[in-house]
Amino acid sequence: MKKILFVFCLLLFSALSTGCWNLKEPNQRAFIIGVGMDMAEDKELEISSEIAVPAGLGSSQVTGAGKKNTFTVVSAKGKDFMDAGQHIQTELSRSLFYAHRQTILIGQHMAEEGLGKYLDMVVRNPKSELRSVILVVKDGTAKEVIRADPTFDPFISTTLGSQQNALGMKPFYFRMLLCDAFSEGTQPIVPAITADPARGYVYAGSAILDKDHGLKLIGFLNPEESMYDNWIMGKQKDLTVTTSIGKGNETISLVVQSLKHRIQIKMVKHQPQIHISLHGVGSIVENNSSLDPSKDDDLKTIQRKQSQEVEEKVRNLVGKAQHQYKIDIFGIGERMHKQHPRIWKTLKPHWHESFPELPITVSVHLRYRDPGQTNSSL
Amino acid sequence: MKLTGSQIFWTVSTVEIIMAVWLRVSPAIETAKQDAWISIIIAGAIGLAITYLVTHVSLLHPGETLTQFSRKLLGGWIGRIVILPYFVAWFLLSGDVLRSFADFIHLTILDRTPIWILMVMILALAVYLTGISGITGIGRFCELAGPVTFITLILTFLLNAMNTKLLHILPIVGDSSWQEVFKASLPPASFFGESFMLLVLLAFISSNKKVLAKALSSVAFTAIMVLLATVMVLLVFGPYVGMELRFSYFMLVRSINILNFIQNVDVLVIFIWIFGVFAKISLYLFITSYEMAQWLHVKNWKKLMWFCAPAIFFIGLLIPNEETILMIQKFWERIVIPICAIAVPLLLWLMTIIKNKNYQKKIKYKT
Repeated sequence: MKKILFVFCLLLFSALSTGCWNLKEPNQRAFIIGVGMDMAEDKELEISSEIAVPAGLGSSQVTGAGKKNTFTVVSAKGKDFMDAGQHIQTELSRSLFYAHRQTILIGQHMAEEGLGKYLDMVVRNPKSELRSVILVVKDGTAKEVIRADPTFDPFISTTLGSQQNALGMKPFYFRMLLCDAFSEGTQPIVPAITADPARGYVYAGSAILDKDHGLKLIGFLNPEESMYDNWIMGKQKDLTVTTSIGKGNETISLVVQSLKHRIQIKMVKHQPQIHISLHGVGSIVENNSSLDPSKDDDLKTIQRKQSQEVEEKVRNLVGKAQHQYKIDIFGIGERMHKQHPRIWKTLKPHWHESFPELPITVSVHLRYRDPGQTNSSL
Repeated sequence: MKLTGSQIFWTVSTVEIIMAVWLRVSPAIETAKQDAWISIIIAGAIGLAITYLVTHVSLLHPGETLTQFSRKLLGGWIGRIVILPYFVAWFLLSGDVLRSFADFIHLTILDRTPIWILMVMILALAVYLTGISGITGIGRFCELAGPVTFITLILTFLLNAMNTKLLHILPIVGDSSWQEVFKASLPPASFFGESFMLLVLLAFISSNKKVLAKALSSVAFTAIMVLLATVMVLLVFGPYVGMELRFSYFMLVRSINILNFIQNVDVLVIFIWIFGVFAKISLYLFITSYEMAQWLHVKNWKKLMWFCAPAIFFIGLLIPNEETILMIQKFWERIVIPICAIAVPLLLWLMTIIKNKNYQKKIKYKT
């Protein structure tokens, strides 16, 4: 009797421990690869999901014939993320699966309205994915971009992160947006992309979101400006600087690596003075000028000239932030908070007003490690 | 039934680490913001003090569990009454752990499984292990599961190294006052103070050698792991996101992404969570059954498992919502720890000293 009971228990538990009733086969799921959020004309949220079509993926590799699409895009309106998800579901025979979402795209209208209130789902939903990269679509809707056919990969969503890598930036994950949005004094700078009918999708710099007003879009930085801003914020890994030099405006290009950045804050009579210093070491990759980098004098000229030019650009960027957008896109407030927590408490309430008045100085030092394979220009 | 010194070390740390890492990081960050790591250090010190106290008291009565020596010291009735809060604490804790476990598994993997099935499954396993081998089996299990847990934790910290941002931890004691830092140390300290289970466990040690060092180092080890987890959560998420996450360590693991290749390691981490919960439930099942047997003068403690296991199950089942779980944690922090981990052991210590003096006096009279 005891043995029978024991065997019965064993069988019961082996059946229970498989968890089969909770099983969902991959062919019952619709894998969401990327998602686009737009604000429709009538102020309703519109979600476009890019869904992988596994059948299309296989056939394109084996034979060219009978090619199916690798993905499909389904859009629906809704009151919030999951409500729209329900409406998307009505068009699909497989249930939506969020855990493979690689990219979140935000349409410009959506960003202008502020996306602060829609952040929750991405973290709360246990089936959701934290490792998505997030981008803002400039001059367009997320819906258009997510439909684009990428060059290398089967899905556009997987390419956007690699594109940021290829541009020398660190990919901007959703987690970083959260950190910035909840921080004391860093305004989130989100990479931007634009849909161009002729060229597909193009990196368009960054979008500035105002975290103190529900993450509303207040403007864009062009690719070059965002490169320098990323440098100041420590989000850039390498960059290429091209300057014209000499009488004939000949050009010389430098790939700068090992970027260093520093924001120093000095308190002078209870007023903060900011100094941004940037350092970079790189190698010359193109030299069309008559200068010879192997000669010390010429090298110094090149270094000085290039540093000056970058310095000028960074100074313009600072001016733009202070006078055009009037927002702290360099994380100076956050730095203030880290270094002078007590003073920051008094500054924080009116940081938006005082930031444009801050005295900010900039210095840039570029050095050469490697002159390249030729001495003077060929 | 015997436990070796290293089994004591691994039992205490396995049972404590998982719950503390899972549940105590966010509450500490919520109060102390980026200074939560200082709070954890303070909490570790409080935990060590409690551990020292209970180990010392327990070692004064070798081979006897809490019920045995409290009855010997305080007499039959008072000795029994003093033990009652312990039963309340242990039953509530195991019910709470069982429920948190089932809720978490329900939330993350088995969302279409009734919670009670999950609870029955793990409880049945615990009954099996405890019934077959008692504390020896639990000790052996922890000796295996403990190092696995340790390695997994360290690995997840290392894999997150790329995601860290050192600046998140600044300013040190700038935003939050020392008062808040101390206040934030209480929730984790109450979890480290759980080591008062040593009052029972130390009756089973095979030799008295270095037991104190082993017990203290296990709590120190736990505190260090929780400290590392807190620092990592702070460095990756910063204080403001970190405090909003319910299971911040789990989120930490979910943000691992190395070269788009090492991802979704969270599945592995659920294993160590199950290990820790399983060890904890088995251990408390053993402790409550054994102590209740001593309390009721029942010879075969295994019979009482048939009361304790259902009791734990129903407590777990009856917890209606998250708020109650938080209330139990508050109750644990405000009432259980002061009584069970501090007041009663102190009383027993005092009584031991008095009894010993009387005993020595008697010897003097006789000679």
